[in-house]
Amino acid sequence: MVKRKTVLYIRLLLALLPLITCATNDGDIRLLMSPDKATKSDAFSRLLAAKQVATFPVLNAINSKKLFAYNGQLVSIGEKNSTADQVTYDVFLLFPEIKTLTDKNNTPLKVPLSALQPIKFSRKERLSLIPLLPYINLTSTDKDLRKLAYTQFQNTPKLEDISILEAASAKETDTELMRFAAETIATVKLLNATTPEAQIAQIRRLEANKGDNTVFLLNSYLENTTPLTPNVQKRTREAITNLNDRATRIDWIQNLFSGLSLGSILILIALGLSIIYGLAGVINMAHGEFMMIGAYTTFCVQELFKISNGGALSDAFFWLSIPIAFLVSGTFGLVIERLIIRKLYGSPLQSLLATWGVSLVFIQLARTIFGDLTSVKAPALLSGGWHVAPQLVLPYNRIFIIIITTVMIILTFLFLYKSRLGLRIRAVTQNRNMSACLGISTKKIDAMTFFIGSGIAGIAGCCMTLIGNIVPDMGQTYIVDSFLVVVTGGVGNLFGTIVAGLGIGQFTKILEPIFHAVYGKVIILGIIIFFLQFKPRGLFPPKGRIADD
Amino acid sequence: MKALLKNRSYDYIIFIALFLLILPLGHLLGVISVNTISLWGRYFCFTIAAIGLDMLWGYTGILCMCQALFFCMGGYGIAMHMLLSASGEGTYGKAIPDFMVWNQVTELPFFWEPFHYFPLALICALIVPGLFAGVFGYFIFRSRLKGVYFAIITQALALAMWLIFLRNETMLGGTNGLTDFKQLAGLDLTAASTKLLLYITSCLVLIGVYIGSKKLVNSKFGKVLVAIRDSESRIRYTSYEIKNYQVTIFVIAAVIAAIGGILYVPQTGIITPGRMDVKASIEMIIWVALGGRGKLKGAVFGTLLVNFLYSIFTSALPGSWLYVIGILFIVTVLYLDQGVIGLPQQIKTYFAKRKSAKL
Repeated sequence: MVKRKTVLYIRLLLALLPLITCATNDGDIRLLMSPDKATKSDAFSRLLAAKQVATFPVLNAINSKKLFAYNGQLVSIGEKNSTADQVTYDVFLLFPEIKTLTDKNNTPLKVPLSALQPIKFSRKERLSLIPLLPYINLTSTDKDLRKLAYTQFQNTPKLEDISILEAASAKETDTELMRFAAETIATVKLLNATTPEAQIAQIRRLEANKGDNTVFLLNSYLENTTPLTPNVQKRTREAITNLNDRATRIDWIQNLFSGLSLGSILILIALGLSIIYGLAGVINMAHGEFMMIGAYTTFCVQELFKISNGGALSDAFFWLSIPIAFLVSGTFGLVIERLIIRKLYGSPLQSLLATWGVSLVFIQLARTIFGDLTSVKAPALLSGGWHVAPQLVLPYNRIFIIIITTVMIILTFLFLYKSRLGLRIRAVTQNRNMSACLGISTKKIDAMTFFIGSGIAGIAGCCMTLIGNIVPDMGQTYIVDSFLVVVTGGVGNLFGTIVAGLGIGQFTKILEPIFHAVYGKVIILGIIIFFLQFKPRGLFPPKGRIADD
Repeated sequence: MKALLKNRSYDYIIFIALFLLILPLGHLLGVISVNTISLWGRYFCFTIAAIGLDMLWGYTGILCMCQALFFCMGGYGIAMHMLLSASGEGTYGKAIPDFMVWNQVTELPFFWEPFHYFPLALICALIVPGLFAGVFGYFIFRSRLKGVYFAIITQALALAMWLIFLRNETMLGGTNGLTDFKQLAGLDLTAASTKLLLYITSCLVLIGVYIGSKKLVNSKFGKVLVAIRDSESRIRYTSYEIKNYQVTIFVIAAVIAAIGGILYVPQTGIITPGRMDVKASIEMIIWVALGGRGKLKGAVFGTLLVNFLYSIFTSALPGSWLYVIGILFIVTVLYLDQGVIGLPQQIKTYFAKRKSAKL
């Protein structure tokens, strides 16, 4: 206990060191803790009048009625931690910096409410904070509130606010909000600038900063500010055009990227379909359901993790669920192959109908067990996105899907072309009877292929949980598109499947913004039918005698 | 009738006696409710579409997965006519259907115009699907797409058209479809007598379509179709233009499906895009497969059987229907290659084989 106190005193001393520079604020801040009501109110009103950025967190805490004294410091409470026996809060220091209080091991202190002494202010005093709200929100712990505060300054640009804005933006750590702050400061300066040189300088800054609102701000500047020299007008227009061009380019990049990720999903599903059709001449309509099984496996792994960890959930469940989804979907595929599909080799139409029946049963089974809608919490590592440039954010989950597809493609190629089992699969695909004569157990090969194909679909399902909910008929959404990929690529041809998957994915996303998604789909179908006029057996048709039945 | 008795075609006699005599008479005597009558009337419409599908799949070997699309095209045609004939009587009293008023449309879209007049509407409801099938089929069969490829492309077509019909701006009612019909050719659709009339019409049209199709498949044209199914390349080598036969039967099947749709919509009182999604078309295939493909009788029997089962299961055990139909798919494909109609023959061959094996 003694030791802890000394540590606290040292911390207090350290915390006090920078305060020497703003000693007056410091005095008033300390006076807020005074038991005497009059002293407290006086200090409060002096703080209001001073409008110092460093004191805003304290005022913010007063406004939200979360100001406490703790060990002689002004603190506020953050995240709530509930355990079985008590409720504790993370506590953070408000002055001179917002800082989470930690113990000596650098883990956040968990303090029960009883250890905190609330500092109360009258309703009247709190109401007097309202005119100051845009200012004090600049240092709020809530990102959205900060953004809103900056927006308010963009709407009411006053030169005297600049110093406050600059002080607040110096404390900003978030890149997006830093850009927002710079945009606000430049706007305020621009709207108050009088000489053309100063105006152009601020327009340059705005353009270089590439903020979210810049185009809108510059447009309204052009319209509402009357005496503008032609030079400034020209420069503003240039800036607007440049920024608009950039926005168009970013839209294109984003479209290409989402096309790539859609194509990846299609490839992941079509890969198994294509191998299975090439090998056994079976159209597997239930393939989408193996994907659905993969998704539900991920969900089950998540729930099991929750149970074994007592409610908490770590990211590990998702990484673990990828191989599990592969195994579970693969096993289901194996069972279906044994029971049903084995009897239908070489008759695609019959297998199409039987597997459609299988898919109906699976969908209803999933609905009975899991209900209509469930979802998986995406791992923290995959939430958010990669800020490549201002306004250009590539979501991590999509990047992950693209990576995992690439890995699966490479693994499939290595497996088919470098392993003994792959060699056998290729042999059976080329000539089933001859392979059997040479001592290859074709039944084993069929089962193995089905296992792997369904397993890949399971991984696809695992990935799908990152970008959407899990619903029993989720497989049906992609199955028709995946079949189009197989048909376009040339049935049983891996390379064709990849090219067609990427092509269809890209085309869909390119057409979507021009037409509506629905008409985009119709146009794609039209393109495919047109394409099949010239290449009726797909991009890469099988050569030689197997080409004709 | 005499000819039927002479040929010992008891199944035909049973069909006619049951559906043209007992059911209507039962209704007139008050034993059978008008809903049951209407239900069977709707099954007949499905059966008509299934006959078309059977000629396409069973006889020509083309697995078409968009038959429900053509069925719905016919249905939408007659639905448009019924809405227009009652326009002005709707909630808003406007000369356009109510759903257009909701969508802030003030003028009738141009393609609705022909559907003002009953005969013209009927012709349009038949010609549009036929023409559509003709153009689509021409390009597909021209590039010699067949088997699985054809099935997948038609499935994609069904999906794409379903998505289009779901949109509001196509002026076909969007997700809600077309409903709230009042009259057809001056007949009040809510009246029991109209329902009975529609039932009998459906039954008679079914018999007509059946006889016509039977004649067609027994003609030389039908023999060529079967030959195409069994060996396409041989027929091509004997200098038949296969494409023409395929496009023709595709168009015929589409028009027959549209006939079914035209009769169906006045009896249900609603047509939505849900009738034409991917599932609907595949279900039509299972009707034919379960009854016995390659036999028109099989298509009729299968459709009536599956739909009858559907109404039993959905009322008795809701939620179990997908299991039932799924298992029906699997069992039919695995064990009933000839369908239920071919079951006695199948059993006979099985025992004959066992007997010969024992010897």
